[in-house]
Amino acid sequence: MHNSNLTLHKTIVYGISGLLFIPIFATLLYSFSSSWGATILPDGFSLKWYSQLLTDPRFLDAFGRSLFICIASLLLAMVLVLPMIFVIFYYYPALDKVMNILILLPFAVPPVVSSVGLLQLYADSSIQLVGTPWILIGTYFTIALPFMYRAISNSFTTINLRDLVDAAHLLGASTTKAYLLIILPNLKKGLLASAFLSFSFLLGEFVFANILVGTRYETLQIYLYNMRQTSGHFTSALVMTYFAFIFVCTWLATRFSRGNQ
Amino acid sequence: MSYVKVSQLAKSFGDVNVFQDINFEIEKGEFITLLGPSGCGKSTLLRCIAGLNQVDNGELWVDGENITDVSPQQREIGMVFQSYALFPNMTVEDNVAFGLKMKGISKSEARTEVKKMIDLVELDGKEKFYPSELSGGQRQRVALARALVVKPRILLLDEPLSALDAKIRKSLRQQILNIQRELNLTTVFVTHDQEEAMLLSDRIFLMDQGSIVQQGKPEEIYTKPVNEFVASFMGHYNLIEADTANQWFNLASQEKVAIRPESIYIREAGRQYGEHISAPMPATIVSHQLLGNVIRYNVKVEENELTVDLLNRSSERLMAKGSSLELMFNLNEIQPVRA
Repeated sequence: MHNSNLTLHKTIVYGISGLLFIPIFATLLYSFSSSWGATILPDGFSLKWYSQLLTDPRFLDAFGRSLFICIASLLLAMVLVLPMIFVIFYYYPALDKVMNILILLPFAVPPVVSSVGLLQLYADSSIQLVGTPWILIGTYFTIALPFMYRAISNSFTTINLRDLVDAAHLLGASTTKAYLLIILPNLKKGLLASAFLSFSFLLGEFVFANILVGTRYETLQIYLYNMRQTSGHFTSALVMTYFAFIFVCTWLATRFSRGNQ
Repeated sequence: MSYVKVSQLAKSFGDVNVFQDINFEIEKGEFITLLGPSGCGKSTLLRCIAGLNQVDNGELWVDGENITDVSPQQREIGMVFQSYALFPNMTVEDNVAFGLKMKGISKSEARTEVKKMIDLVELDGKEKFYPSELSGGQRQRVALARALVVKPRILLLDEPLSALDAKIRKSLRQQILNIQRELNLTTVFVTHDQEEAMLLSDRIFLMDQGSIVQQGKPEEIYTKPVNEFVASFMGHYNLIEADTANQWFNLASQEKVAIRPESIYIREAGRQYGEHISAPMPATIVSHQLLGNVIRYNVKVEENELTVDLLNRSSERLMAKGSSLELMFNLNEIQPVRA
């Protein structure tokens, strides 16, 4: 009875997983095939789509821009969030509840609505922000904030912050030294896990990038969108490259978060 | 002048008065305990001595220096926390060396000092271990070494044994006492465990609701409680109403009297009792508890229920519920107590 149940469960899980993998596998196959038209199987296999993609300066530029925006947003988030959470947990623990509500706000408003709102807000601004990477960095910061705040505040609750800082003070360390030498190293794993998770999320972001910046600062997702009319093999190679990159990021995030427990 | 002088110290958090008008003095090398129930203000007082909380009023002097407004970094006070507060990202060695590093002591000198401290707390061989790889008792010894290595003027111990199991607690408290005596360290220990306080302290400061209600040597506090709170906190004192006590013991007391369970005897036939022992009074056993070496009886005398402790000698039979007996009181140990 038990064994047959287990077999049934396994069949369902593997069946659904297999079903979900079919499009990915098909895309992978398509990206490696030299041409695949009216035949059941591809005419042949080739790496030409990948070599074409990886030597396309427009792709490399778009990838570089995406990396720049994501990394800059994450750095901004880290620089602001880390000291902020420390101040909240050490000096004003009651504010954690307020923060937990605040960090949900970016998810409460659909991206289309908030991007149109941002467009209206900055359209008449004396500083030209719309169409530049800076508005995206600012927007992505708000998207990364919930991921980072949650992960880092979890790390804070696992260490005995007050006693650690107090002990460091009594041993002669200033609050800054206590933060840098004791608190920060203990947040490393949570911080890296949340950074990789936010990174994979931000790299795939399309709505804000399209509405706020569009082709004026072509990111990876915009490039992918613009390339939809070209060869399907080429876009498949593009999707698979992107997918592999995200897979590595997610794997690193999981590795770090597991190490954190 | 005493080595440590605490004068009119007061602290409140908003409208909540944590402690007020705290005054005491400590001699160099003395081991004192702040004893009291949870929430009596003893830990906050300790944190104020460490400089981790600011006081609202009063002064704190150490070795002739007013340190009331001195930062915790400059106070030269060591502290051991209940939660150990070891730095999880550092090895035992690095934890102990942290204070020396902050003081700018050279690496070679620091290494020698760290080695000495690790030997003192008997943790040699564990230098490269991380706190997560140590037992509770070992962690607390690292915390002790870390606090001692910087040669503090005062050592503060905030319930350092509370999170440990009974066996480790016993051995560690003896180790703390030995180290304290060896280094002649002025030590302030905080606990809610009266047994621990009595075992370790030169003097006990018993706190209740933000005030020191009684201070003195452990035997003084135990045998001469000044009020009902001290009597109930320090042991299983029997509190007898003034009227009843006056009638039983021929007194003229206006206050309740307290008598310890071990100062009440069960009359044994044929045994001679001195003049300080009261006349026998009939009583009935209500219940008993076996506490290892002691049997604690709840007995009824007239309408009063009293606690009587007897040594659990194998020759003495356990008396059953409802048994009749005669109780005698040691009149020298009857103590009038304030409400």
